[in-house]
Amino acid sequence: MTTAIETRHLTKQWADFRAVDELDLEVPTGECYAFLGRNGSGKSTTARMLLDFIRPTGGSASVLGGDGRDPAIRARVGYLPGDLNLPRSMTGNDAFDYFGQFRPVKDTAERGSLIDRFGLDPSRPVRELSTGNRRKVGLILAFMASPELLILDEPTSGLDPVLQEEFRDLLAERKAQGATIWLTSHVMAEVARVADRVGMIDEGKLIREMTFEELRHQVTTEITLGFRTPIAANRFDGVESVTGVAVDGSDLRLSINGPVAAVLSRAGELGAVRIETEQNDLDAIFINLLSGKSGS
Amino acid sequence: MTAAFRVYRRWLRDRVLSTVSWTLGLIIIIVATAAFYPSLGGSADAMAGGGSEAMSSVLGLSAGIDPSSPLGYLWIGLYANVLPWTLMALGVSLGVAALAGDEGTGALEYLLSGSVTRTQVIMGRFAAAITVLVIASGLSGLSLVVAMPMFDLTDSVTTTLPDGTTSTAPGATIGNIVDGTISAFAIALGLASLAFLIGSVTGRKSVAMGGAVTLGVGGYVLYTLSSMTSSLDGLTWLSSWRWYVDDVMLINGLNWPVLIPFGVATISLLISWWAFLHRDLHSS
Repeated sequence: MTTAIETRHLTKQWADFRAVDELDLEVPTGECYAFLGRNGSGKSTTARMLLDFIRPTGGSASVLGGDGRDPAIRARVGYLPGDLNLPRSMTGNDAFDYFGQFRPVKDTAERGSLIDRFGLDPSRPVRELSTGNRRKVGLILAFMASPELLILDEPTSGLDPVLQEEFRDLLAERKAQGATIWLTSHVMAEVARVADRVGMIDEGKLIREMTFEELRHQVTTEITLGFRTPIAANRFDGVESVTGVAVDGSDLRLSINGPVAAVLSRAGELGAVRIETEQNDLDAIFINLLSGKSGS
Repeated sequence: MTAAFRVYRRWLRDRVLSTVSWTLGLIIIIVATAAFYPSLGGSADAMAGGGSEAMSSVLGLSAGIDPSSPLGYLWIGLYANVLPWTLMALGVSLGVAALAGDEGTGALEYLLSGSVTRTQVIMGRFAAAITVLVIASGLSGLSLVVAMPMFDLTDSVTTTLPDGTTSTAPGATIGNIVDGTISAFAIALGLASLAFLIGSVTGRKSVAMGGAVTLGVGGYVLYTLSSMTSSLDGLTWLSSWRWYVDDVMLINGLNWPVLIPFGVATISLLISWWAFLHRDLHSS
């Protein structure tokens, strides 16, 4: 299997601040790799080094078997920056025409299809567009040339939930067509449907890589059960998937990791009158990983 | 079509409105100045500093230019100050916007995510900025050529001196305007290319703007002070105003110092190119 992105000891240092520290990444062709981390952890810096906007102070990066400095390589990459700014006098159509010249468009109908899909009015100047609509312009620009590799920095930032869902569908389609996707995010739902693997970065260092299935095992669900009278915590001892129990008056808060059938069965036996669920988001898992609370 | 030309064409297109605005503003200033010649030409001495030696020197009148003649009036009213300063302001704004302006917003980074090289971007943008400056300078000169005959600026002027003899000053010709406009364009080109250079090296719009304005105003201050004291004579070569004002190319025709800004522009472009190739882009 060929490699779409490969970095070896990739490092970026400004004065005494090391933004990316000896990063080793390998993303095979056709994989969707989610690069997760907090703000300022080095995600965008890595993306910018891949595309030669900034130069590494150490190590190397390879994109689609070549160097990001090579315009022929960049022509095969669809890029969405975290904060896309286009000349304000441009309309969406202007942007698609102009930037489309610098990427070979295989299917000219694709652009129209994406415009319809995202419900964008491409005749309006960028300066008149809302944040969400400007984001749509950026997504269409990134996808319209059907690139081999998509580098997407916080792609759903600014999109409403309906469009986020549309975006996830699009990602799944492109992945099915063989595109390699490298995206940064801290939104679990964004990566849940498409990511094959996740890498977690903190303070410039890759602290963890795992498949999405492994990540999913890190996800715990918090279930709160309400009872008419207080219930002892030990009534859930030995119940499958329960990893923690806390008592709060007549409520029990359970941490669940796995199937919930046994939990619900025991809740029914004990006469629970109310149930609330809450899933730990990626941030919570990430924080757990950072603090070493989560096992592998 | 090369990528550099695409960059060039798009940048020009994005500046159509501002180019039209600047050019129209210049034309209005020029035509209005020309229109006042019939009524102000006789009192141009007062415009020329009322006989102050330092002011006359700063305006280039120490070489015996008659401020009441058509060319003397155009020199004092336009070419010694208003036109070069306005073109320099345009040049600085273009030089800053061409690279550092877009870099500050992140638009430059997005452009470079496609199949275009940094060399193509910097060459296309520099050429586009100079093109706007050429258009604005050229049309302003053309407007004066068209307006001159309407306001007697092409007529020679004969004056009778106190001793009864007469002196005839020639009217302005197209050649005078071409020479004067090229020299004004040249001084603006030099500063525009320095603004471009600072922007390309630093990637910072504010630094480029501040640096270019400092160089432009500083050069003028240096030249002005040097007309009042000889202690600065050794430094006046740093100021473009020395050749621009002393040589009065509007009247005396072009001579070699007009090439200095073209040399400055070439060297600035080369340094800008090298620096831009070897540095990181700044994020928005």
